[in-house]
Amino acid sequence: MSGNNNWRPYLLLAPALLVIGGLFGAGLLTGLLRSLSYMPVIGLTRPNLDAYHAVLTDPMFLRSFGLSLYISVVSTLLSALIAVPAALLLRRNFAGRGLVSFLFQLNLTVPHLVGAIGILYLFSQSGSFARLGFAAGLISKPADFPALVFDPYAIGIILQYVWKEVPFIGLIVLANLQSIGPDYEAVARSLGASRFQALRHVLLPLIAPGLAAAAVIVFAFTFGAYEIPLVLGANAPVTLPVLAYRSYTDTDLAARPQAMAMAMIIAALSGLMIALYLRASRRGRV
Amino acid sequence: MFHSFKAAVLVGVMALPVQAMADTADGAVLIGQDWDAVVELARGGEVNWFLWGGADNINAYVSDYLGGILLRDYDITLNRVGLTDTVEAVNIVLGEKEAGVTDAGSVDLIWINGENFRTLRQGDLVWCGYTSTLPNNALVNWDNPAIANDFGVPVDGCEVPWSRAQFAFAYDSATLASPPRSIPELLDWIKANPGQFTYAAPPDFNGSAFVRHVFTYAAGGADQVLGPFDQAKFDATAAKTWSILNEIEPYLWREGATYPTTITQLNELFANSEVALTFNYDPSQFGLAVASGQYPETVRSYGLTDGTIGNTNYTAIPFNSPNKAAAMVLQNLLLSEAAQLEKAKPEVWGASPAIEMDRTGAATQTVFAAIARPVSVVSDAELAQHALPELQADWISAIEQGWIANVGQ
Repeated sequence: MSGNNNWRPYLLLAPALLVIGGLFGAGLLTGLLRSLSYMPVIGLTRPNLDAYHAVLTDPMFLRSFGLSLYISVVSTLLSALIAVPAALLLRRNFAGRGLVSFLFQLNLTVPHLVGAIGILYLFSQSGSFARLGFAAGLISKPADFPALVFDPYAIGIILQYVWKEVPFIGLIVLANLQSIGPDYEAVARSLGASRFQALRHVLLPLIAPGLAAAAVIVFAFTFGAYEIPLVLGANAPVTLPVLAYRSYTDTDLAARPQAMAMAMIIAALSGLMIALYLRASRRGRV
Repeated sequence: MFHSFKAAVLVGVMALPVQAMADTADGAVLIGQDWDAVVELARGGEVNWFLWGGADNINAYVSDYLGGILLRDYDITLNRVGLTDTVEAVNIVLGEKEAGVTDAGSVDLIWINGENFRTLRQGDLVWCGYTSTLPNNALVNWDNPAIANDFGVPVDGCEVPWSRAQFAFAYDSATLASPPRSIPELLDWIKANPGQFTYAAPPDFNGSAFVRHVFTYAAGGADQVLGPFDQAKFDATAAKTWSILNEIEPYLWREGATYPTTITQLNELFANSEVALTFNYDPSQFGLAVASGQYPETVRSYGLTDGTIGNTNYTAIPFNSPNKAAAMVLQNLLLSEAAQLEKAKPEVWGASPAIEMDRTGAATQTVFAAIARPVSVVSDAELAQHALPELQADWISAIEQGWIANVGQ
């Protein structure tokens, strides 16, 4: 009987494993083969690393890599910096807390793309804020309004990510705080710790693993996202996923191996992020 | 005798269900076939048509008008699959070929031209040799080099023309009295009006076409860059082109620090008066934008006096389409007098016919001649006075890559 139970979980997991292994795994494998310049359909039958060499020595790829990294780091840090104090406040009891919590979570239900278009309508040089500025006599033509979308500093993209990810990190930290409860903090205070000391030495270390896990998810998502930089980004440099897709839709079939090499590099970095996430969440499980 | 009779019956019985399924993956039997027989093979089936889906009026013409006729007259179900970029359909067919799917592909028809057609031929992904089987092929003037060659690549019976298009510029006559009407005029105008012009960054289809106009100007005329790709000629002309485009960059929208990435973004900038000019390979789009209220009614359009580029667009059937008969019926319908006339109506689409109007019936010619273009849309006749041929696909790729490396960064 107990032998029966050994394989039962695998049987129950089979559908999920089939989807993950079959569809995702097979796609990854095809991508890997193509990235090694193995494409019999156009006469490429000798696997090699040419595409990786070409991609990694291409200054455009390196600029795109730098831009993606910059966007992810800034978005993740800003989101975390806003989300943690918000979660600490929302943990308290105050009048209207229910409403504030509801508003805080509202963004989570709005699709990223819808948010991006909203940012575009609000912050473009002929958007709502520019029109308000014009009506108030602050600017006389669209070009007077600061460039906040399609801009070299990716302000529009970062705005969109922060807007969307603050509630995400906030909710995870809040859940963390609620499961920790008020006891540790109360003990620290009763032993003479100031409010700041209790926060610094007790609460923050307790929520750190959860925060780290949430931050890794945000980082990995913002690093691999395609649609937001496409809608709000400048034409050059483009983020890594946009560059990979552009190369994938190049009409010359010979450009496919390089597109796939970029996709594999993004996948490898995401894999690294998942490993970090697993480490962080394991540390969290005390 | 008896045995062979039994065998014949058996083969007949076995063939029946195949016919009822209307699987026409094997195109060889369709070529040169009696048209009624092709229609019977197609009847009751379906056809999956992958085409750019970014314009509501085109989508409605395809799904409602064409889909309606297919269902009513042929009992064929038309599945319109919208794309943002035609290369997506090419990628599907390519992936299927790699996976060994040779007779059950998911794409039956693609709206296509230029570089994507070249890709289809490069990967041997397209079905060829059947076009003369279509009865309405008689309306197509294959002696016209602009029809027989798709961006310089010979069509060779691998695709069927659908519409013709020629590049045009648009401006608001209420705010701009006399727009620049040639490339040299435009370059001077840009410097005199800083921040009022930009173009969609290649590889955007329309932005790339704009850069080709500057490239043709830099080459000293279209004659210089016709024919197959020539590296030495390209290098010399490209260097001039990039220096022209880099010279005007500080006078562009946002001082050229960035460019719109799609024609849609450029249209938005024009609609919001951030820039004073826009352009399109399909001038009928200007009329639609005015009709929908996106552009003011004072918008007018024109072609450059030193020429604007024109092209023909086509439909092609992938090699592994399982519904080739139904796709042929659809292609024949696309070429029909009625469908081409409907497509030419400005309120429907306003696309120029790919068939020779003087080969159509008197009634069709009368109606066609009476079609009134919106005032915002430049007439075909005016554009045709200064028509330039498209460059071959190899030139276009090289120009796009070169622009990204030398201007776009």
